Amino acid sequence: MTQPTAGVPAQSMPDWPLPTAVVGSYSVPEWLERLKTDYYQRRISAQHLNDIHDVAIKAALKDQELAGLDIVSDGELRRDNDIDYLLARIPGVDIPHRAKSDYFDYYDAEVTRPLPEPDDTTAGLAEDFAFTAAHTDRPVKFSLTGPFSLSRRIRANSAYADEADLIRALARWLNAQARDLFAAGARLLQIDEPFLAGYPEAADLAIEAVNIVTADVPATWALHVCYGNRYARPLWEGHYDFLFPAVLAADIDQLVLEFARKGPGDLKLFRQHDWDRRLGLGVIDVKTPEVESADVVATRIRRALEFIPAERLVINPDCGLRHLPADSARAKLRALVAGAAAVRAELADG
Amino acid sequence: MQINVRPVARLRGDRPLNVAAALGPVFDALAGSAADLATLRVVCDWIQYRENFAAPVRCRPVLAERPEQSAERPVPVAGLELAIDLRRSDEADLAASVRAALAGCAGGADDRLYLEPWTPTSTSCIWRFNTLYWQALSRWEQFTGREYEQALPGGQSDARNAEVARELIGELFRVWDELEARRALPEQLYIVELGVGNGGQARTWLDTFADLDQRHGRDYYRRLHYLMGDYSAHVLDRAWQAVAHHGEHVSTLVLDATRPLRTLGFLHGKAFFVYISNVYDNLPTDEVASIDGRPYLVQARAYLDRSQAAEIARRNTIEIGQVGVLTDRLLRLGPDLLAETSPDLFPDPGRAVSLWRDVWTALRLTERYVPLEGIDTYQVAPKLTGEVLRPLLEGGGDIRMHVSNGALASFADTLPLLHPFGRLICHDLFLTEPGQYRAGFHGPGKYDGSVVNWVNGPLLQLTGNRRGFDVRIAPFSGRPSANIRTLTAQVRD
Repeated sequence: MTQPTAGVPAQSMPDWPLPTAVVGSYSVPEWLERLKTDYYQRRISAQHLNDIHDVAIKAALKDQELAGLDIVSDGELRRDNDIDYLLARIPGVDIPHRAKSDYFDYYDAEVTRPLPEPDDTTAGLAEDFAFTAAHTDRPVKFSLTGPFSLSRRIRANSAYADEADLIRALARWLNAQARDLFAAGARLLQIDEPFLAGYPEAADLAIEAVNIVTADVPATWALHVCYGNRYARPLWEGHYDFLFPAVLAADIDQLVLEFARKGPGDLKLFRQHDWDRRLGLGVIDVKTPEVESADVVATRIRRALEFIPAERLVINPDCGLRHLPADSARAKLRALVAGAAAVRAELADG
Repeated sequence: MQINVRPVARLRGDRPLNVAAALGPVFDALAGSAADLATLRVVCDWIQYRENFAAPVRCRPVLAERPEQSAERPVPVAGLELAIDLRRSDEADLAASVRAALAGCAGGADDRLYLEPWTPTSTSCIWRFNTLYWQALSRWEQFTGREYEQALPGGQSDARNAEVARELIGELFRVWDELEARRALPEQLYIVELGVGNGGQARTWLDTFADLDQRHGRDYYRRLHYLMGDYSAHVLDRAWQAVAHHGEHVSTLVLDATRPLRTLGFLHGKAFFVYISNVYDNLPTDEVASIDGRPYLVQARAYLDRSQAAEIARRNTIEIGQVGVLTDRLLRLGPDLLAETSPDLFPDPGRAVSLWRDVWTALRLTERYVPLEGIDTYQVAPKLTGEVLRPLLEGGGDIRMHVSNGALASFADTLPLLHPFGRLICHDLFLTEPGQYRAGFHGPGKYDGSVVNWVNGPLLQLTGNRRGFDVRIAPFSGRPSANIRTLTAQVRD
């Protein structure tokens, strides 16, 4: 296990109402996309690409800090996409062809034998977290794509007769990474399940797997479920009612959901099902570069306050910002922070 | 000196091209010239279009820097490209043509009447002629006595193929049945056609649909909305007549084919089928080139040979000095208004069409290569930088290719219309791999009164892929041996 990093600032959830956060990814500049692809074309080395990622992450952190966010992330800028960053590190997941014509493409992964049980071998996530935490004075959120969604991108599984066993095995590996991350000082961990909304019948299984990931890792855990954001397009349409009641059994502290694009209709679910934990409220539509005003953000927060008290609301975009141009991403984050501040001030004034 | 022979397929076969014979006079002329032969490139094409914009011999300077950086002095030239049309190599005194072309490049006597300043090809006035053609199509057809479909190589649009329509509709029914079974089929079922021609495609499609739906028994026709989009109200009116019997199931919309979302934004994510036939090859395009590893934009300049301008003036009873001005007015006003505003010169619109046809027939382009300071600084289409060209331009070696800006803008702006289970089908002249640019000429040519360029298929594929679409190009099943191909795009992942 990685030891806690000296000098890493406190990583706990801010204790003021309506803290602001990102979901995970940050705007990926076109030049970075080119360089990432250049790596696959063998035009630049892994070492140079790592250096480039370091610099890009520092810039992304600065943007988030300047916007005034309370909780920041590395922008997931080291990740090709939401899947490969993890799948490529999991022992037993085979990726026969690692060449890509574009970095954002998914690998074709397969599992031909049961995954080995996790051991002490580091997968490098804790190191990535430590780098981020060392370059900001804000708490850092670190996201792990969840076992259900990871399993959806494994094209061939000849190792497990029951798909659920593959998901559980992936969850155990993620749990080992979470322990490693916690040991490195990470306290705000998030599981992303971007594919779950397309398989509502799998909610119970997905939540069972989430609980394997979070087991014995005393971080503040969030679960992010969206309707897809690949290429800034929703993959599915629907409502969050499919999460209930299964999600009530999840060992998590916070649900992070999208409401800006979809509207507030599903907020009533949290009252109906007596959700007594936090809600990460999506107030920024990440599928359009059009920038919301702070007033619009404030209105969306006020609407949510009719269903969830302020001390249990976290204010965030609907999803990651990766597909937005940098100017738009920055402006949206500024609007998010200003909208939250306006509502916070109203609450303080009584 | 580099010699680049592109029509390689013609070097073999029963009647192989005799390049050596064609190039003999070229070398003779070059030997007697002062051109820097070490930096000269001789490019041989076979321009298949009988009507085109190229003189049999053209000299294209490769500029060493962007012209605006050296406005106060002559633009330095890094090299010359001598372009020979091998199809016409025996039509004229090639050596004399080479000498004249080189002299023109060197700033010598110029016997041309220019109609515009240097400009990227996509903004050349040839596209104003193209627009005029579609806007004043009825006048053109009156004058020529034949409809535009007759001017197409096959004599009719490829859209009118019932067998192809049956196949596509059958596939659509399969998808709809599945969605219906999951109660995920919307009430309104939208089909979009961009570029409607004379309505033949819409009629074939709708008639076939109504017939198949009756047999299928799911009553999809009741829920069907067929939207016909075109930038010419006249064309839409005519197309509407062809489908009038489908009444309320059809709507017509005037729209810009390169920006369909502006008009069809309400269909975002809702169209199950977008049909585009022979539109892309008729939209403005630039050409870019990679020469010695450096990216260039091709700039063009439209002109008339002065002798032809004089002949046009004589035929239309105007002064030669009026040819340029009146052509510009014609392009701005169209033949009807030009006749109205200048009745002394054009007593009726037919006379204005006469000028139009004469200038169009004689119209040529001269070209030059202007360096791009980084391919990413070149805007391919709204929200799309030249970065997307990089994989194609950096494939190795010199290459010159179409950017298909209009097609790309249209394609990128159409993809968001697609329902997650929707498909875009496009029949057009698509290249399927970048290497084809090294082995043939792909435009521009003249189709009747319009411009035609083959479409850069690999670029559309790349662009679609980067937006999460699977894009395939296959032979057109209606005419497998034809140049026309079918591009299909649908959501992947």
